[in-house]
Amino acid sequence: MVEKEIVQARGFRNTRDAKGNVDGFQFRIKTGYYKGIWLSQFRVGDAKVDGETIAREDVIWEINGIEYTPDEMLLIGDTYWQVATPATVKIRRPGGLEQGYHTVGVSFGWYCNYQAPERCHPQLGTNWAGYYWERELLLV
Amino acid sequence: MSPAKGTPKRGVSLFSYQCMKNCSATLEDYFEDLADMGATCIEILASDVENYPNPSTAWVDKWFGLCEKYGITPGGYGHWCDTKLYGHRRLTTDEAVANLVRDFKLANLLGFHRLRTKITTETRNNDPEPGWEKYIEKALPFAEKYDVVIGSEIHDPTVISTPHVAEYIKFIERTGTEHFGFTLDFSTFQDPAKINAAHFRPPVDDPASTREDLLGILPYVRHCHAKFYFMSEDFTEPAIPYEWIVPTLVDNGYSDCIISEYQGGSKDDAFIMDQLRRHHVMLKRLLGY
Repeated sequence: MVEKEIVQARGFRNTRDAKGNVDGFQFRIKTGYYKGIWLSQFRVGDAKVDGETIAREDVIWEINGIEYTPDEMLLIGDTYWQVATPATVKIRRPGGLEQGYHTVGVSFGWYCNYQAPERCHPQLGTNWAGYYWERELLLV
Repeated sequence: MSPAKGTPKRGVSLFSYQCMKNCSATLEDYFEDLADMGATCIEILASDVENYPNPSTAWVDKWFGLCEKYGITPGGYGHWCDTKLYGHRRLTTDEAVANLVRDFKLANLLGFHRLRTKITTETRNNDPEPGWEKYIEKALPFAEKYDVVIGSEIHDPTVISTPHVAEYIKFIERTGTEHFGFTLDFSTFQDPAKINAAHFRPPVDDPASTREDLLGILPYVRHCHAKFYFMSEDFTEPAIPYEWIVPTLVDNGYSDCIISEYQGGSKDDAFIMDQLRRHHVMLKRLLGY
């Protein structure tokens, strides 16, 4: 099941490295657009956790089980990301987040061939419903 | 002699269900809904194909199984010719052709003969990018091979009198192709003065295409999107003059699909399913079936 919200409740948790140490946290998003996009059309900005900004370069995006940096995705024009498949946003942070509620969010948009430049954000392309999405989620 | 009356099929585009699409509705849910309102053809977007652009044979079998079970035929396949796929450069002509052919093959595999094609644009008015003929012309033999018609869309804010529509017609006449034409989206006929709050869209001040405009391009109309933003309780779309659009198509022999496309922006599943049914009441009345 994919939730109606852009930021998904399921999938919010701390991550562990190969040795089992908590090395960060992750949450999942969907675009909410009516169609899928090629990875090279996707544009991302910074993420946030509890008001603290995390630079886009420090965020890893996992789509269809493969991890990408934001810049790697710009060159991949033959891998399609479907609308009903949430992406996982991964942020490195030794120790992760504490149990309890946290507000997590991320900025993103996309470029498609029918979007005139004057209708696009210079870095994030288009996202009809807004560029920044956040949600308060409970870490178990 | 006037042409024999056309017998278009009533269909629905899965675009109409966009608020459900990225949640939990299954492909079969859509087929069931279409069959329930008596639609006999379906339009999908390329992105509705599981694991696009490489569906499994199991998914293709499922697709045809659903068409058979619900008595629905493939009507239209919506795809995009994205030459601005990368931020730093345009696709080369050969790359653009290869991507077009990938969609032609997939459409053919799934039984589609009509494409809704979005050619790369740089303006709000949907003017095609300069040089579009290069890759479209090179793709024509493949469109023929895979038995599909590239249907460049005429969609609000484009009106039929827009110069690029004449450019497309010149291209069709010069190449003599049967595999390029128009997907006519009825939004081009909407009267901005009649758009109201229930349409779920901001007011626009774009001009509207006329009946005379439509008569002028009929030979090139190969597919139709029956766009609507709001259907009222008396089964009319207050801003789009269906009362002459559908009869004009029928009287002039149009027998391809008329595909309902809800674009009103509501996020309420039940409301949209009711709107689609109101739209099909109107189409049934206009078509007589």
